Amino acid sequence: MRRGLMQWNPEELPRSALDARIALLREALNAEKLDGLVVYTNIARGAAVAWLSGFQPYWNEGLLYVPTAGGTPVFATALSKRVAEWIGSVMPVGEVTTTPKPALLIGQQIAKSGGKRIGILELDDFPAGHAQLLLETAPGIQLIDATNAFAKARAHVDEAERNLLNHAARLADAGLAGIDPARTTSSQDLLGPCDEQARKGGAEECFATIAPDLSQSASYLRTDTAGPLGTSFAVRSSLAYKATWVRRARSFTSDPALAVRYAQAEAALAAFKAPESGRLDATIRAHFAGNGIEVRSWLAEQPRGGYPLTRVAGSNQGDDVWQAGAPFVLDIELSLGGTRWLGAKLIA
Amino acid sequence: MTSPAHQARLKALADSMKVEETDVLVLFGNNWHADHLRYATDFGIQEGQGIALVRADGTTTLILDDAAEADRARDETRTCEIVYAPSLVKEARNLLSREGNRKIGAAPFHLLPYGLLHGEKDLRVADGTNVIERLLMTKLEIEMDAVRRAAKLADEGYAIFRDAARPARKDYELVAEIETFFRTKGVAENFMIIGVGGQEVRGMAPPSGKVLKRGDMVTTELTPCVDGYYSQICRTLVVGEANEAQKQAFAVYLEAMEAGIAAVAAGVTAAQVAKAENDIFRKYNLGDYVTSEYTRVRGHGMGLFPDQKPQILEDVHIPLETGMTIIVHPNTYHPAVGYFVLGDSLIVRDKGHELLCGTPRQLFSVTSH
Repeated sequence: MRRGLMQWNPEELPRSALDARIALLREALNAEKLDGLVVYTNIARGAAVAWLSGFQPYWNEGLLYVPTAGGTPVFATALSKRVAEWIGSVMPVGEVTTTPKPALLIGQQIAKSGGKRIGILELDDFPAGHAQLLLETAPGIQLIDATNAFAKARAHVDEAERNLLNHAARLADAGLAGIDPARTTSSQDLLGPCDEQARKGGAEECFATIAPDLSQSASYLRTDTAGPLGTSFAVRSSLAYKATWVRRARSFTSDPALAVRYAQAEAALAAFKAPESGRLDATIRAHFAGNGIEVRSWLAEQPRGGYPLTRVAGSNQGDDVWQAGAPFVLDIELSLGGTRWLGAKLIA
Repeated sequence: MTSPAHQARLKALADSMKVEETDVLVLFGNNWHADHLRYATDFGIQEGQGIALVRADGTTTLILDDAAEADRARDETRTCEIVYAPSLVKEARNLLSREGNRKIGAAPFHLLPYGLLHGEKDLRVADGTNVIERLLMTKLEIEMDAVRRAAKLADEGYAIFRDAARPARKDYELVAEIETFFRTKGVAENFMIIGVGGQEVRGMAPPSGKVLKRGDMVTTELTPCVDGYYSQICRTLVVGEANEAQKQAFAVYLEAMEAGIAAVAAGVTAAQVAKAENDIFRKYNLGDYVTSEYTRVRGHGMGLFPDQKPQILEDVHIPLETGMTIIVHPNTYHPAVGYFVLGDSLIVRDKGHELLCGTPRQLFSVTSH
């Protein structure tokens, strides 16, 4: 669950930015001749509602309905009545209702407005129980997958989002900055302070994970399963600040002979710039080539829909949906003369 | 390799599938509802979504739509096949279509992805709640051990919380200290909300940046997770000395919680426990404050989900069973002092309960250090 600071700050996320996003969405819905869009949210898939309204639930679930023709969006959530006032204080857009059956309320709204062609973000993943209730409450409606329509609007990255991303990246950096491989005794002792830095800086969530022994595995593990530290390890902080997610990962070694190479790899990651167009793969391989460095795998993630970050390109797939010019998180595994090195960073 | 608790769960699940004549059980989950997946696969999902296909012969396939999560699952769980599929629903449908005419059940049914049930050809998937719901509620002895360990960490966590609470600190800084403590103790998940202030506070929520000041009540519920199992503690503290109204309010909540706990035993219904708590409030003319206008539940079950059935409410007639792990918490708004919480976790036993929380039942006062 989200348990860090959750607060709406109009200086960070102006109401005008949210209004502009909703206007872009309405334009995209109009182009598809949709009467409105229903967007589902919970803590695993809260990014789309957060982008439109500034709000993500700390727990439970909800549905946001944006009518194409205008008017106030409606947010219905199964969170309890006692927190309705709190939701209102952190959600500048929309009329909030708490109800055990959010789809019933949204269905009633749709029926009242006479909407027939109703877009659903990520229809395949939409909870079947909610879909059923929408169809029962608003007879005659058609549920249409509107993932592409949403993506058209979501392609717009405004200044507010860029600023939030950069702030989140600074928090993630701070969490990893204090790690000293020579003074660390356990995986758990590393992950605690990483989380602390993030949350004291105002992050609402931090998933701190560790690949505790890079000679054995590149998998990032949580504190409950991470084993003893090897000579070299990597820590990854996946962090949300005001519903804006980044990842930052760094590799560390207590082997002085390796430390110089690790520093070079980190410097190479810091210097990486995204191409203005074209394929990411070629740019990445060219940037990291040389000095015995080999790119083993990489992954690029951007926010596109309900998930905070979505895989948009990678070493195992084409750059089919990577959006040039928009910030992305690069997660990369290098071989430094046969030694594994992991890193991740926001490329803004 | 699998944990003894997971082995025991797999056996219980296989037995239940046999009783319910289910050939394949489809379990869906994410970081919010991780319990069904965890029960069958022992994987604690953090990002993305997952679907597990549990077959009657014990073979299980876990499909995850996040690549890093799939890598982690391969490291952590050795009893099932892990499949990474960016298109979770498509992959699950492909695998299910190979199961032929076997009887397929799924849970939690209302949260199942729409595309899993509806596509070019609708899959015949029945509601499999009956296969797993009771298993989630009533714990095996080996599961109770994890809940006990979580309760111990909840106690230790509350001591950290108390130490962190002092004037001029921000609410989210307290949370940061708790989370640091839990991460260093190997606790990956924690359900936690907080309230800071006085009469104006109507409930708890995530921290909003409030600064603690003398006279504030600080309410919290901590719910650390150990090996997938949650246990909860609820306490209220006062920054500075408690005033008379706060002390009087505490006495009511203490009496109500103890009445509720005293009522707990196998065979007693959740409604009877709730009534025992609520009758105390009624006795002090505070009956309005036990309605849904002011409070959600008077306690609830805990396990692989921090807030599971049975909900302790006067209209919930589920009988408590030996092995259920629950919290009794008469948390609600008090008109004189604001939202107030007090709650202890326990295990339901044949003739009573086993108390899990060890933190004193008192209204704590903290002063500046």
